[in-house]
Amino acid sequence: MSLLSFLVRRLVHAVFVLFGLSIVIFIIARVMPGDPARMAVGARAPQWVVDRLRAQMHLDQPLVVQYGYWLRDALQGDFGLSLVTQRPVTRDIQEFFPASLELVLFSGVLSAVGGIGLGTLSARYKDTWIDNLVRLFSYAGVVTPSFVFAILFVLLFGFTLKWFPIIGRLSENVPAPPTITGLITLDALLAGQVGTFADALKHIVLPALSLAMGSIAQEARITRASMADNLNKDYIAAARALGVPERIVMGRFLLKPSLIPTVSILGLDIAATLSIAFLVELIFNWPGLARYGMTAMLHKDLNAISAVILVLGAAFILANILVDVIVAQLDPRIRLRAARSE
Amino acid sequence: MSMARKPLIVLGVLLSVFSLLATQCAPQATPAPPTQAPAATLAPATQAPAATQAPAKKRVLRITFAWPNRIDPAVGSDYVGSTSLANLYDTLVFPNAKGGIDPWLAESWDVSPDGLTYTFHLRKGVKFHDGTPLKASDVVYSFNRLKTIGEGYAYLVTPGVASVRAVDDATVEFKLEKPSALFLPSLVRLYIVNEALVRQNTKPEGPYGENGDYGKEWLQTHDAGSGPYMVKEFPLEQYLLMEKFTDWWGQFHPNAPDEVRFIGTTEAVTVRSLMENKELEISDQWQSFEAYKALEQIEGVKIAALPSMSSFYYMVNTKKPPTDDIHCRRAMAWAFDYEAAVSLEWPGTKQMVGPVPATLAGHDPNVFTFHRDLDKARGELAQCKYANELDKYPVDVHWVAEVPDEEKWALLFQSNMADIGIKVNVVKVPWLSMVENTSKLETAPHIATIYVSSDLPEAGLMLKQRYHSSTTGTWQQNEWLQDKELDAAIEDALATLDQNERFAKYAKIQQQIAELAPSIFIYDQVEKHAYRTCVDWPATRGESSVVMGYQLFAAHIGVDCP
Repeated sequence: MSLLSFLVRRLVHAVFVLFGLSIVIFIIARVMPGDPARMAVGARAPQWVVDRLRAQMHLDQPLVVQYGYWLRDALQGDFGLSLVTQRPVTRDIQEFFPASLELVLFSGVLSAVGGIGLGTLSARYKDTWIDNLVRLFSYAGVVTPSFVFAILFVLLFGFTLKWFPIIGRLSENVPAPPTITGLITLDALLAGQVGTFADALKHIVLPALSLAMGSIAQEARITRASMADNLNKDYIAAARALGVPERIVMGRFLLKPSLIPTVSILGLDIAATLSIAFLVELIFNWPGLARYGMTAMLHKDLNAISAVILVLGAAFILANILVDVIVAQLDPRIRLRAARSE
Repeated sequence: MSMARKPLIVLGVLLSVFSLLATQCAPQATPAPPTQAPAATLAPATQAPAATQAPAKKRVLRITFAWPNRIDPAVGSDYVGSTSLANLYDTLVFPNAKGGIDPWLAESWDVSPDGLTYTFHLRKGVKFHDGTPLKASDVVYSFNRLKTIGEGYAYLVTPGVASVRAVDDATVEFKLEKPSALFLPSLVRLYIVNEALVRQNTKPEGPYGENGDYGKEWLQTHDAGSGPYMVKEFPLEQYLLMEKFTDWWGQFHPNAPDEVRFIGTTEAVTVRSLMENKELEISDQWQSFEAYKALEQIEGVKIAALPSMSSFYYMVNTKKPPTDDIHCRRAMAWAFDYEAAVSLEWPGTKQMVGPVPATLAGHDPNVFTFHRDLDKARGELAQCKYANELDKYPVDVHWVAEVPDEEKWALLFQSNMADIGIKVNVVKVPWLSMVENTSKLETAPHIATIYVSSDLPEAGLMLKQRYHSSTTGTWQQNEWLQDKELDAAIEDALATLDQNERFAKYAKIQQQIAELAPSIFIYDQVEKHAYRTCVDWPATRGESSVVMGYQLFAAHIGVDCP
């Protein structure tokens, strides 16, 4: 099977998954307690104001009809108006998604570098004190929620040592770069604003690291286990016997096949970070999609809830596809199996 | 190199990389030029020419708030929204520290003898932020917009107003359906918008007929006001940055901030770190008791306990046994330990005196007040028709799950009632369920513990909110009093324009309610904020109005922080 046909097949699957997800979230959002129209206009607004908003949102219609209206608009890229921000949800997502994406990408890089690095280190120095130290870190990292790391980092690096800024994406007096991608670090580089880039980088370190810690810990364990497993294989012993330098044995012969489980988990971890980042975004006052989604849920902002969940669902699907492609590149056996099954 | 040393070297490299990252070796960003030209300070002649003009340091006031923030004057009505609107927009009248109102955009006004027509004479030379002169037609447009949209403070301002018209550019006339003592004070919530600017930014499609979306989308992130500050930046989830409107007609504090930044977070660790790093001047009011204690330890930081228009009530159901018997209710009111309850709150908190907060105009400080007296409690209980079968009638106390501190008072209440033989079940209830439960008599608990805030500093409004039959079936009245005589007395008082006469009527109603004991009046809430002592904040001296939002009226706050 060629890469193209594989991608087409997965994308067709994705459409069905997103369609199913849209129905599920549409129903769940509507059975949550509380009247969204009443919550939007306030407890003391007269009933006619509530009724007008209900009619405007088709909440006075049967559920199937409501879904029909929603689907018709969604297919045209219109996810309706947010009850919280009073703006089109599409516009809100355009504004908040890049901030989350930037955070998640940095967190992903930190997870990959940190997790694979520590895992390799741990496997290389298996059963030494370094291995034990990494194991200890991994256990602590896996069981500690990211918001606890966020609090610890704020207290240590923001409050006590004052090395990093605590809130936002840029300092108060630093000019924002012109918006091209919405990723401030990238936009600053594209605009040649080196100072702004450095400031944005300083702002993103703590939230990205908070989000990455759990993932680093997990990747480190998986990489180590996978490498330790492969370490006893005959081809490694043969390579060593032939006098291949240890650096090449570890980097080329051992690490590459050992990365398959790591990459699989890393991809899903990165996608999951998008949705679990809300507390970290709250602590660092980061204007991301997870925080927007949480606010939407607390205010029963139906249109925003549906759109955010769909975006997160799409991110998961995309991450899965990417993981499959990368894994196939890492392991020729998978490509061959796929080709044979075609 | 031996294998034993390799791990140490690798660890050393890792640590070095981390240190490099942490030492901020990256170049510093160049600060953006200030948008307002600060007063240049002339340097001594001996200095190099390049240093002859140094920009004055910008005065910045930063405050944390619970988010989201809605700054459309026809939409915003919560704490952060009200505070933003007070700073961005002017109103016809301004609330003063004594609970009354002062002339503001309206320099004066006339009231017709029947109390139905109010004619306001507008201040001349007032400009909106874009330089457009403010006219009477803008007032009419603002009122109509608020009434049509119906959200925000519309429920407070628009009912009872029959019509509004611009007599000329400087005169506006309001006609009422019936006389109302609440009309004038309610105008502190009629924010005047720039009609031309809003029309220019109105989308043709929207739910308001020919007015399209009435500029709602645009006004969510921009302002069209004439107030002392104007929107500079508003990234919705992060902060609202406002800058000083130097052409404002009013008087700024000599050290009034050049910029005001409302930051959208109440996270304790973030607030504390910002305060410690001198990146925050005033904290939000939602920190825990322990968090305020920690903030107080920071050098140059104090805790302000400001009076508010809110009180903590135990709303006792008067229709459900055993609390339908007045003697049972009075027994509970005598048995509760108010001193202990108050001591659980921040220092400066006081027991409620009567059914309305002491900050409201028309509050009667001499109204009968219960205190803990077990003999009197037992005496009342003996007269209660359920006295001999109290075991059959345990009293359910529902407290709001989202306010964990409420459990302390619920447990205190349980313990106090045990002293006189009343069994109390303490139940934790999510707020949405509390709203649902109190809406029907069948599901309404014996006691609901709720903080209620008055919308205006007028006792009559709180009496109406809390005890008039129109609010039964809402979370504002679990008492289900439904007393027609009381309703009539409240309506009559609110229609009385003579202040002395009206306040005398309020006093009588307060006494009547206190004797009925439909609620246990716990304490008047204080609004706690941590603030840096380099901020000259009139509210800490009781020099600003308690109307929500006006304690943080930035034009009257001085910032002189290093």
